[in-house]
Amino acid sequence: MKPLIRLFGGALLAWTTLCAAQQQGTQESPAPESLKGVQLKGKAPVNPQTLRVVLPRAQEATLSNGLRVALLEDHKLPTFSLQLLLTGGGLDDPANQHGLAMVTASLLREGTTERTSRQIAEQLATLGGAFSASASPSSGETGIGIGGLSENADKILAIAADVVRNPAFPEAELAKYKSRFVSQLQQQRATPGFVAQEEFMRAVYGTHPGSYVVPPENVLRDLTRADLVSYHKAHYMPNNGIVLAYGDFKLGDLVQKLERAFGNWPKGEVRAISLPALTPPAKARVLLVDRPGSVQTSLWLGGLGIERRSDDYFAVLVMDHILGGGPASRLFINLREDKGYTYGVQSFFNGSRFPGVILATTDVRTQVTEGALHELTAEVRRIGNEPVPEDELKKAKRALVGGFALSLDSPQTLLSNLATQKIYNLPADYWDTYPQRVEAITAADVQRVAKKYYDANRLQLIAVGDAASVKKVLEQYGTVETPPPAAAGAAQ
Amino acid sequence: MNRAVCVGFCVCFAAAVTASAAEQKSQPAPVRVQFTDLTLANGLRVQLVEDHGAPVIALNIAYDVGSRNERPGRTGFAHLFEHMMFKGSSNVGDGEHFYQVFSNGGSMNGTTSNDLTWYFETLPANQLELALFLEADRMRSLEITQEKLDNQRNAVQEERRLRVDNQPYGRADEHFDELFYSNFAYQHSTIGSMEDLNAASVADVAQFFKTYYAPNNAVLSLVGDFKPNDALALIRRYFEDIPRQAEPPPVDLSEPEQKAERRETMSDPLARATQVQIAYKTPVGNSPDVYALRVLSSVLQQGDSSRLYQILNKEKELVVGIGGFVDERIGPGGLYIGATVRPGKKAEDVEATIYSEIEKLQQQPIAQWELEKAKNTTRFGYLQGIRSASSRATQLGSFTVKFNDPGLINTRVAGFEAVTREDVQRVAKKYLQAKSRTVLVTNPAPPPAAAPGA
Repeated sequence: MKPLIRLFGGALLAWTTLCAAQQQGTQESPAPESLKGVQLKGKAPVNPQTLRVVLPRAQEATLSNGLRVALLEDHKLPTFSLQLLLTGGGLDDPANQHGLAMVTASLLREGTTERTSRQIAEQLATLGGAFSASASPSSGETGIGIGGLSENADKILAIAADVVRNPAFPEAELAKYKSRFVSQLQQQRATPGFVAQEEFMRAVYGTHPGSYVVPPENVLRDLTRADLVSYHKAHYMPNNGIVLAYGDFKLGDLVQKLERAFGNWPKGEVRAISLPALTPPAKARVLLVDRPGSVQTSLWLGGLGIERRSDDYFAVLVMDHILGGGPASRLFINLREDKGYTYGVQSFFNGSRFPGVILATTDVRTQVTEGALHELTAEVRRIGNEPVPEDELKKAKRALVGGFALSLDSPQTLLSNLATQKIYNLPADYWDTYPQRVEAITAADVQRVAKKYYDANRLQLIAVGDAASVKKVLEQYGTVETPPPAAAGAAQ
Repeated sequence: MNRAVCVGFCVCFAAAVTASAAEQKSQPAPVRVQFTDLTLANGLRVQLVEDHGAPVIALNIAYDVGSRNERPGRTGFAHLFEHMMFKGSSNVGDGEHFYQVFSNGGSMNGTTSNDLTWYFETLPANQLELALFLEADRMRSLEITQEKLDNQRNAVQEERRLRVDNQPYGRADEHFDELFYSNFAYQHSTIGSMEDLNAASVADVAQFFKTYYAPNNAVLSLVGDFKPNDALALIRRYFEDIPRQAEPPPVDLSEPEQKAERRETMSDPLARATQVQIAYKTPVGNSPDVYALRVLSSVLQQGDSSRLYQILNKEKELVVGIGGFVDERIGPGGLYIGATVRPGKKAEDVEATIYSEIEKLQQQPIAQWELEKAKNTTRFGYLQGIRSASSRATQLGSFTVKFNDPGLINTRVAGFEAVTREDVQRVAKKYLQAKSRTVLVTNPAPPPAAAPGA
């Protein structure tokens, strides 16, 4: 109902990983040929220097029970925010219980040995405190977010500690949660983007946990209180976690506060996550989900990508930026600015302890599905077949490196960078050396990873739209499979 | 590094631990955004916030125009025009604006609402001149052609399909305001109709530009890492000789008094569950009763501690989701409540429960903890909202255009602090009356067999 309309859509995904900088930029050069949708007049006063910035250092400590703490001091405002990350997440769900970590996290605040669900909600709200807990069926961690006004930090932490440490998982609340979840899922499956995502993940991951956007319904139905208790016991322990914080604290104060709330939380035995084997899709496929009467077709094109620690990470980062990383990218300039097929188009990649996805996606009006698909596939092919022109490569690197200054105005970005470094055991100077790593990428690197990960022989193409109108178009790209629509959340 | 951040910051926020604040220990020290506010010879209002806390600058230009200024037959035009602002000007090529910003490590966007249109970019601090150049050039010399218009018409129509026509409840959201408002200014949607978008001409674009995109109809807010004198000199250099234009015609936003409930039922083939939307007429934005109404809304429907969440979602299990907000506009606004009904449950029962909870708000003062909740969450939200340079710039521009008072960035919290439990009860009685509400029920079509026989 809020009528705010933006020039670009919400899915501005790829520019959050930005880093420190110290290279010399270049003066504006004429538009590279690839930028057919943008005209550069060369009169804008661009400062050729890339701003040199220094990253704030996190201060670290360890509580007596092994809980690690990293703090970015920030006294701008009398607020704080911290994240407790517990290793495990959905990746450590038992093989037949994908979703257990998610449900466990969601049920934390539905009652403890000391407080009812309602008391937790009311007490936190009264303090203006924020608490969230989440894990997905494919996440490597359970993430618990806590925040609020500094003046209420002790009280908020006390409630949060109770919720994290002493959940009661009441039977009645579990039943209510299941019923809520199934109804919500039915809603989500009415939106084309969600349907496309579920189908894409299934196509890429098969039976690997990565395929689950949400838990299978039979798993959700069968989960018991005992399952939750057991997951909690095995993963919620101080020596399996790390607290990442920013805000109006000194390290000593924060440690004291955390000792009060979590200090007597007993250690436990941490077990290593064992991941099932993962193989890329065996062949290219075309999947069409019918959405009768749909005025748009949602298109997802891509496949299996890289782990977060992959040696190809920086090459993929630069390649992705050039292909579809924002409004200055090839896909945006071609499909939106030049052709007017779409409101938004972007590429995306992610990666964690296991290889993530790599993809290009757009929503286009039904009538131009053919043209849009032609351009989408052509751009994906081109970046693998032709070396990126030197100017365009330089621009992409400059954007990635130069934008690091902006992260200094966003504690959330700094905190998320810190989390990445900790979770994936990246070197302590990882973010300091990030610019050099971006700078080192060559046109040959970009071409190589594009060809490797947008592999024509394994590309998955998902379309959600009006099958009667677009099936023929999709047939140009292979045998069209039509999976049945996902169970709409067989609610009872 | 931390010291440097703190020093830089104190220039911008005087964390004033005044004598009186120190005495009352329960009252946290007020945080203020210190800004200067002046008007150039051509009428452009300029606001500066110096903050060396991060090496960035955030520039926001708010224009005093929104979909409220559109005329019948041209709905969606203000927003279509916003898209044209990225299509080039005398010294900036088509698409070059966002190309330059993104290629130099920045981010940017434009946004159109019913009340105003704003453009913003955040860049590394050494690109201040680039930001000012780009904004000034299009304010001075937008280049408008048929081809560019047709191109962006496509993008906007695609945006409409994406947000409205292809989403469950998209059309219901749009239709709600058609039912809720009587005055054309707010009655039509900001995205506009396909027919009207098709009708927009190059002449319309040129006229709109001349009328509304004049320096005397705009507010420039700059926040970040710069020296104010240098920044002001650059602003004068790029903006001050852009000619002033005649004041735009005023728009009548007034609404006739609503005398009876308005109600409609519609169906939506993309929806899978029934949706109930309810709104009550509320006064113009920033008036004293609106603060109390926002506290009321927090108690009624904000978060899982709220009365409606607890009774509808947890206790009776009638809804999938429940929530809403107070829409504060230049003209009359509304208190909105939205609920999605669970499969097999009845919309009538959801409505009846909502009205019964509203009645309780009219009969008894809210609990003390509920008042504290509203104040603390508001204060926390306020502090989060002034953290980044770009949100401060946007807020200054928006408060200036909407209420001619950039100082609201600092004074609004006090407005909430002043609300009492009795105020909440009073505004519940005054505004949340059956006769001043609008209700729209949207059913899936065709209705699933399990749905209530509506």
